[in-house]
Amino acid sequence: MSSTEDRIRQLVEENLEVDGQPIAQPINLDSNLSDAGVSSMDVVAFGKLVNEEFNANLSVEDCAKLPTLRALIDHLDA
Amino acid sequence: MTVADSAAGCWWRPFREIGDAVVIHIDLEADSTREGDALTWLNEEEKARWRRYEHQGARRRFALCRAALRAILCDQLGCQNERLEFGASDHGKPFAVVNGRRHPISFNVSHSGEHGLVAFAPKGRLGVDVEERVARRDLDVLVTSVLSLGEQSELALKSGCDKVHLFFSLWTIKEALIKALGKGFSLDVSGFEVPLAMRRGVVTSTFRFPEMPSVRWRLENLGNDRFAAAIAHEQF
Ligand SMILES: CC(C)(COP(=O)(O)OP(=O)(O)OC[C@H]1O[C@@H](n2cnc3c(N)ncnc32)[C@H](O)[C@@H]1OP(=O)(O)O)[C@@H](O)C(=O)NCCC(=O)NCCS
Repeated sequence: MSSTEDRIRQLVEENLEVDGQPIAQPINLDSNLSDAGVSSMDVVAFGKLVNEEFNANLSVEDCAKLPTLRALIDHLDA
Repeated sequence: MTVADSAAGCWWRPFREIGDAVVIHIDLEADSTREGDALTWLNEEEKARWRRYEHQGARRRFALCRAALRAILCDQLGCQNERLEFGASDHGKPFAVVNGRRHPISFNVSHSGEHGLVAFAPKGRLGVDVEERVARRDLDVLVTSVLSLGEQSELALKSGCDKVHLFFSLWTIKEALIKALGKGFSLDVSGFEVPLAMRRGVVTSTFRFPEMPSVRWRLENLGNDRFAAAIAHEQF
């Protein structure tokens, strides 16, 4: 079973892009997706994918309150 | 340095006036001369942020918008670029600092694809949002995440391009409102509704958040055939 971090990295890699280009790798877990140039619309859609992948129930506001991808991973692991 | 000294000239133009708010359109098409010029307007902290963006497009949007914002504010406030700094609220909304002191001018910035907007006004909280309309396979996911049930049923009456058009209008109006408050998506956007008239195509309206009934906002749909956009401005 892969770790939450691996699964988040994979979700980002497979689903997010900026101007049609994949997000630069490796993803910096100490930044948030907006810092990487991902639009808020894509961030909201990503939150839904996270919910599906982890069977979680994060709202858009919950996601927006998590300052970094690492905070998201910690939240999912808690 | 002034705008007139810039080799690449201005990449921003007056777009609309909504009451006492002025909206400027910023051309964000790829142009290395303009981007080089824009960089000369940024301070060290902004240049470092510019370098941190891995994607060319994100970098370009930041530099061209921030330089345009600096030029616009310097012009409005009669100050030199070196005297202008930016602070940010808890959720990241920038405000102007001139000669080390917070300045009361209201402004907000948005960028998407090849379009940026800067709106400013002498007073009243203000938010602006622009989105290039792109086909999205995940539209239904977004719809259920950010629209109220009433808005969702309104959208369900539409199909094809009309549906996409209405969705982007509703999104930008809602985002303009949460940006005006400065809270971004930490506020539940499905918990308030775009006025019915605007959902049905009227371009301007007033709005009150249910939990903040004493504050009145003027909304304007600024969308055109190139992009969806909206402004929200606090009225007194
Ligand atoms: C503010 C926010 C709504 C912007 O969404 P966006 O569609 O990606 O970006 P836009 O192009 O419309 O606006 C970006 C500009 O808004 C301004 N801005 C930043 N935070 C803001 C806030 N809290 N309120 C109002 N304006 C804000 C900035 O000027 C920014 O441009 P710059 O970084 O080039 O200076 C969104 O990032 C948000 O909710 N942030 C707060 C919480 C957070 O960081 N969440 C993670 C993503 S949901």
